[in-house]
Amino acid sequence: MRTVWAILRRECRGEWRTRHGLGAALLFALASLVGVSFVVGPLGDRPDLLAALLWIVLLFAALASLAHAFVREVEAGTLTLLRLVASPTAIALGKLLFNLLFLGVLELVTVPVFLVLMGAPAVRWGPFLLVLGLGSLALAATTTLVGAVVAQTRARGALFAAVALPLLIVVLIAGVAGLRAQWEGASVAGEARLLAAYAAVVLGVSLPLFDHVWED
Amino acid sequence: MIRRLFLFAWVALALVGGFLWAPPVAGLGATTRVLYLHIPCAWVAVLALAWSMVHSILYLRTRRLGHDDHAAAGVGLGLLFGLAATVSGSVWAEARWGSWWNWDPRETTIVLLLLVYGAYLALRGAVEGEERRARLAAVYAVPAFVTVPFLVFVLPRRYDTLHPSPIVPQAGAAAGMDPRVWVCFLAMLVGFTGLFLWMESLEARLRRREREAATESSPRA
Repeated sequence: MRTVWAILRRECRGEWRTRHGLGAALLFALASLVGVSFVVGPLGDRPDLLAALLWIVLLFAALASLAHAFVREVEAGTLTLLRLVASPTAIALGKLLFNLLFLGVLELVTVPVFLVLMGAPAVRWGPFLLVLGLGSLALAATTTLVGAVVAQTRARGALFAAVALPLLIVVLIAGVAGLRAQWEGASVAGEARLLAAYAAVVLGVSLPLFDHVWED
Repeated sequence: MIRRLFLFAWVALALVGGFLWAPPVAGLGATTRVLYLHIPCAWVAVLALAWSMVHSILYLRTRRLGHDDHAAAGVGLGLLFGLAATVSGSVWAEARWGSWWNWDPRETTIVLLLLVYGAYLALRGAVEGEERRARLAAVYAVPAFVTVPFLVFVLPRRYDTLHPSPIVPQAGAAAGMDPRVWVCFLAMLVGFTGLFLWMESLEARLRRREREAATESSPRA
């Protein structure tokens, strides 16, 4: 547990020193947001479109940046050292927490700007944050594993999005349906359960798999 | 050879029986016949992908490359039969619903399934070294199969679908079905499972030979 915490702190410090990962992700999210809101304009009366656009902006910003956590290690040649001092599970959990934190910061900036620019109707914060949070957990769990796998291949950047996106479609569908229900005043319990189940299953199968991701 | 001939005769007989001997199901009319191909294809696709996941786990446990051959063969056949199920389903949708494709949840999810496993092949293509390729592909195959129950069972139930209930039709409809339909249908199911096992063994053997040929022609230092 202490190792996990140490890895998380190390990740955050590394990110804070350069800030290019987060900076690039924020810039990407804001640029796509500005583009989207300019092209389709305020959509206050279309919660279905709002929900879909918000998730797509978040998903694409995440896919553009979350491979970073492992690719950086491989490129800097620091993965071997990291593996000497920590177990694969600890590394995975540390990276997962970092990715989650990264997504949180990304959403903290992107979501308010989105709501304002798109002229979104009033948000019910409880269900909204529940769907967003569980969706982010599922997103982080999937991208952490795929990032670790893809970091060891050729053409990492392009492959990461291509491999992660199909696995994330379930999250996208449930997340969009959940946000839409939230705006339409319906219950989000079904979607929340679906997202939580997906996150739990992916986490459950991926933690033992990390023992096999690094070997040579 | 004998087994292969028997398999071909079995599938051919079941198919001919389905068209000529078994009567159409009430309410489905002539489109009943798609059932004999569509459901076995969908069943074999899920079977092949489960097969691939089992061999991926076995590979991670034992590190025998033979398991990787089986896992890759399973995905290839899963994609092939999944595509066949999609196409036969699309034909049925045109006859019953009046449109080849209308993004019914079940149509959507099978496409997503094909994408997930298409990504598996893309991943295999991008890794150097057979040990590493086998290991990373196996690591991906496990969470990939996790999406299968979500895509095949959970999502189509949550979002309204017009598609008949999978695996076995609804109890009410099933009770009214002619036993001859059941005989042909189950025979096709068994026949397609046999077809899968045969094709899978061929594909896995082909992969092993290719691997051996590659190592013979360029011995590693």
